[in-house]
Amino acid sequence: MHENTAENSVILCRSCDLAIRKRALPTGVRALCPRCNTALYDTPYCSVNGMLALCITALVFYFPANFFPVLEIHFLGSIRTTTVFQGAFAVFDQGYWVVGIAVLAAAVVGPGLLILSILTQLLIVKWGLDSPLGRHSLKQLLKFQGLLSQLTMLEIYVISFLVSSFQLSDFSDIYFGMGTFCFTMLFLVTLFLQREYDIEHMWGLLMQERH
Amino acid sequence: MKQQGKDLGLCLCSVCRQLNGSDDSHCGRCGSELHVRDYSSLQKSWALLITAAILLVPANLYPITVLTNQGKVRHDTIFSGIVHLVQSDMLPIAIIVFIASILVPWVKIIGLATYLCAISFNLPISKKKLMVGFHIIEWIGRWSMLDLFVISLTVALVNMGQLLDAKPAPAATAFALVILLTQLAAKVLDTRLLWDRLENQDDTN
Repeated sequence: MHENTAENSVILCRSCDLAIRKRALPTGVRALCPRCNTALYDTPYCSVNGMLALCITALVFYFPANFFPVLEIHFLGSIRTTTVFQGAFAVFDQGYWVVGIAVLAAAVVGPGLLILSILTQLLIVKWGLDSPLGRHSLKQLLKFQGLLSQLTMLEIYVISFLVSSFQLSDFSDIYFGMGTFCFTMLFLVTLFLQREYDIEHMWGLLMQERH
Repeated sequence: MKQQGKDLGLCLCSVCRQLNGSDDSHCGRCGSELHVRDYSSLQKSWALLITAAILLVPANLYPITVLTNQGKVRHDTIFSGIVHLVQSDMLPIAIIVFIASILVPWVKIIGLATYLCAISFNLPISKKKLMVGFHIIEWIGRWSMLDLFVISLTVALVNMGQLLDAKPAPAATAFALVILLTQLAAKVLDTRLLWDRLENQDDTN
């Protein structure tokens, strides 16, 4: 490997490969690449217990958010409700399985896996770093973290409640359900969880005891 | 000091962003394969982008929803749906849907094509501006999913036979594929390729 000084103080921009000398940052500040403005790193603030609390809260909201009615329509005396989960399956049933899978992945499976993955990572960091199995699973989970956080599109789904309720209010009465509240809370908790989470810090926790 | 990692014999892992030597074959931290530059990513990105551009045509021409309202059947394309929203006095919602379903896919495809052209044909476009555009494209790309979410909610909710009934139509699949392919095209591209031809031009460019 290379000299220790280069290892510790120089980083490369992932977008343009510029070599940059790493400096300590004050809290709440993010370092950007001077050449292409890509976000490089920010100060690691990552309280494991705080994230664990957010994770459990998110998990509590997850099931009502996906399986409680989110929208209710009153039309000429008949009442229909739908859940996020049913929404994905309705398009699936009509034969549009590409759309169904996309909706299911972005709104139900993605967030679920993301929360479970972070929860498992935190539990391993707290109690399982000594076992080889724990280390191996943490490494695999960290490798898929980027994909999972890209797959999660809760914020867009929250806006789509708004858009569909306005569109349908053209010819019927629309009410929000318990699921809407839970889904919005799920979105907020996940948002804070993702802000708190720092992948570089997690990698650091995995590597530090090996040396 | 404007030195690239390639010249220093260093290479960043594309999965976990660990610094490695450029002669290493696998990342020392996560075990993924290392590439100093991924030249094949340019071709992959072009292929995905061209496919997406072709699919954008059926996505816009074919109807995306079929709405039955008291016996009357209406086929809506993405555009006619927005026009209908404007006519029924829901301008703010129409603007949101317009941005998510028409503006974002077009901006994404044109923007990525410009970016890829700049790498492939050495176009003299400011790299800083290209990179800003690329970051914007990466961020707004996901918002096109809005239309699909709205369709899925509407289809599940509105199923009362001849009275009031909504069904998805062929453009929905094409539209979903456009989103998927453009997201992939941006994701597979190795953006470091753009900055490699910096040496023979001035830095601010």
